[in-house]
Amino acid sequence: MKAKRYLVAGAATALALGLTACGGSTGSTGSGSSASGAASDDSNCADAAVFCIGLVTDTGKVDDKSFNQASHEGAKAAAAADGGFYKYVETQDAKDYAANMAQFTNKKYDVVVTVGFLMTDATAEAAAGSPDTKFIGVDQFFDPATVTAKNLTGIQYPEDQAGYGAGYLAGLMTKTNKIGQVLGLEIPPVQKFAKGYEAGAKAANPAVQVTTVYHPAGDNAFNDPTWGAAEAKKQLDQGADFIFGAGGNTGNGALQEVAKATGAGDTVFCIGVDTDQWDTVPAAQKCLITSATKELSKSVTDTIAVANKGDFEGLTTMGSAGLAPFHDFDSKIPADVKTKVEKVVSDLKSGALETGVTL
Amino acid sequence: MSVTPEPPPTTAPTKAPNPPEEPSGAGLFSLILRRQSIVVILVALLGSALIGAALIRYQGVSPWYAYQTIFKEALLVDGGLTRTLLKTAPLILTGLAVVIPLRVGLFNIGGQGQFVISAAVAGVTAYAARGAGFGALIIGLLVGVLVGAMWASIAALLKTWRGVHEVITTIMLNNIAAGIIWWMVTTGPGAFKNTSQIPMTGPIDKAAWMPTIAGIPLGFVIAAALAILCGWMLSRTTMGFRFDTVGKNKFAAGYAGIPINRVILLSMVLAGGLAGLAGAMEVHGVMHHFEPAIGGTLGFDGITIALLARSNPIWTIPAAFLVGILRTGAAGLQFATGIAPEIVDLILAITLLLVSIPVLGRWIFRSRADKVQAAATSWGN
Repeated sequence: MKAKRYLVAGAATALALGLTACGGSTGSTGSGSSASGAASDDSNCADAAVFCIGLVTDTGKVDDKSFNQASHEGAKAAAAADGGFYKYVETQDAKDYAANMAQFTNKKYDVVVTVGFLMTDATAEAAAGSPDTKFIGVDQFFDPATVTAKNLTGIQYPEDQAGYGAGYLAGLMTKTNKIGQVLGLEIPPVQKFAKGYEAGAKAANPAVQVTTVYHPAGDNAFNDPTWGAAEAKKQLDQGADFIFGAGGNTGNGALQEVAKATGAGDTVFCIGVDTDQWDTVPAAQKCLITSATKELSKSVTDTIAVANKGDFEGLTTMGSAGLAPFHDFDSKIPADVKTKVEKVVSDLKSGALETGVTL
Repeated sequence: MSVTPEPPPTTAPTKAPNPPEEPSGAGLFSLILRRQSIVVILVALLGSALIGAALIRYQGVSPWYAYQTIFKEALLVDGGLTRTLLKTAPLILTGLAVVIPLRVGLFNIGGQGQFVISAAVAGVTAYAARGAGFGALIIGLLVGVLVGAMWASIAALLKTWRGVHEVITTIMLNNIAAGIIWWMVTTGPGAFKNTSQIPMTGPIDKAAWMPTIAGIPLGFVIAAALAILCGWMLSRTTMGFRFDTVGKNKFAAGYAGIPINRVILLSMVLAGGLAGLAGAMEVHGVMHHFEPAIGGTLGFDGITIALLARSNPIWTIPAAFLVGILRTGAAGLQFATGIAPEIVDLILAITLLLVSIPVLGRWIFRSRADKVQAAATSWGN
């Protein structure tokens, strides 16, 4: 009996050992195929003829339907356009920013894109330490007073222009002459969206009334969909027929509330923010007429192209902003409104029109 | 643990009067039997490595190459070992912060809160004391320990005074800590405006940075020393004996005259102090300022470490080191192969699952398996 138990234990050990051997053999047979894969194509990035692009996310994934994904797609497009090699690393811990950027600088990558304002300081530090690599900080602002590196630029977006376009559309379309906006924390980028929206609406329709509400400060200002929904409902009850939801999940809550309201998509509409929210908040499609977007992918692609040719213009590169496609609402918007809005958006981009927004 | 009615002694504490009643050929097996918790962990690690290998293979990458990359990146690359040890140090301490209350039969899920609130207060204090040079480091660490101990003692006092379950209070205190911290760094005393508008405290003096000596971070040395000290305390001192007795049977301990409430309070104060020290060390040794992202999941990782270490303080060192290696190597793994770094968390989770469920031990050792460990029984005490 006892011997039998030992036998079982022995058999288990043997089995375990057998499995190890098995695992080992799988490993050795596979290593060849992986070595010849695409992953090792960055072996000679130091060569001037080989253009290598790296991207580091800010503790997010490259399919987050937001900044990381848009930047990732922009970098991929740039690699395709310039015949470069592209690779990314997804950061798991904010303490790893430097180490993750070092993965690329160690391999002498030509360009490293870092995503999101959380990486601002780490990017500036890395740029100072690796003068041969060019750094592009998406949504980052480098203060010329403290940052002297030339191999560094931060992409900023004219949020007021996107807000202006959205407000202009709302101002032309509103039947009640009342529109509203539900916003995240009262910080400069959100304020620019909000003031642009108000200015655009007033420019299109001087009679329009704009209700503006910011989230009262708290750690969930951008992640409070319940509050966003309640505020959106309040504004609808007061007669607003356009709601601009700008503030991460808080704004998304507002959008979804509008989509649930009676007359959603016919008499009341919502406007998304940052990226085309038709894809990111499908629950809001019923009312989502457009989104006030930062054109992240395009700006990343363009800035990488600049880096490939030579030096950056300066510490700040202005990206562009505009409106997302109208999707299902394309047929519901009168043709003359569309023409006017398109003209306003393109005039803002070209500089022929100013939003007049100051903080 | 030692209530087996069977005559052959199968558990470690009763091995002394062990007559050589087994045939000599089975000596190895009896050794394995006595050390079965190590065997279980090794088998669990092996099993999760194999499952991980299958998942890596499924993504078209050689598992052997992937594991090699992780270890090379974490240990052999220039500066890799230092980074691994930097990651290991707080993990040891947050692991100990779970281990010690576990020995008393308490489940401290508040490591995260104790960690971050200490880091925040230590960060503010060290910034305020930035004229003090090296002294700011000492002050910061002390403040971290004190704040952590105080924070954990709230849960302990509620437990001893009103019998509130520590799992509930520690979890809730985590959220309270997060709220206080957000206030501190946005509008409160720790607010510091940097160019990128990230809520954080001001940078501390270079003189108050925690040094790395010859590639070994001081924080790791302190953490490892504390782990050994805790091991000694638990196994060799009256206090440790009291801790274990209360953990095994509260009522018997009370009958024997052990002040249960004081033991509960003391264990939580120690745990909070250790987690708080980890928080202060992250401020002084890694970030050099405080921002809410400093916590990551370190507090909760402590639970993983404690279960991997089977609530043995000294084993938290290798357990934390393993987690440190995997975490450090993950980014390099993605760089080299394109596999998402989360594979590492997956492997850890599988390991934990295999270690915590008693099935593995019973499957290997049948009736000779150890009775379920403290780690699995402390719930609902």
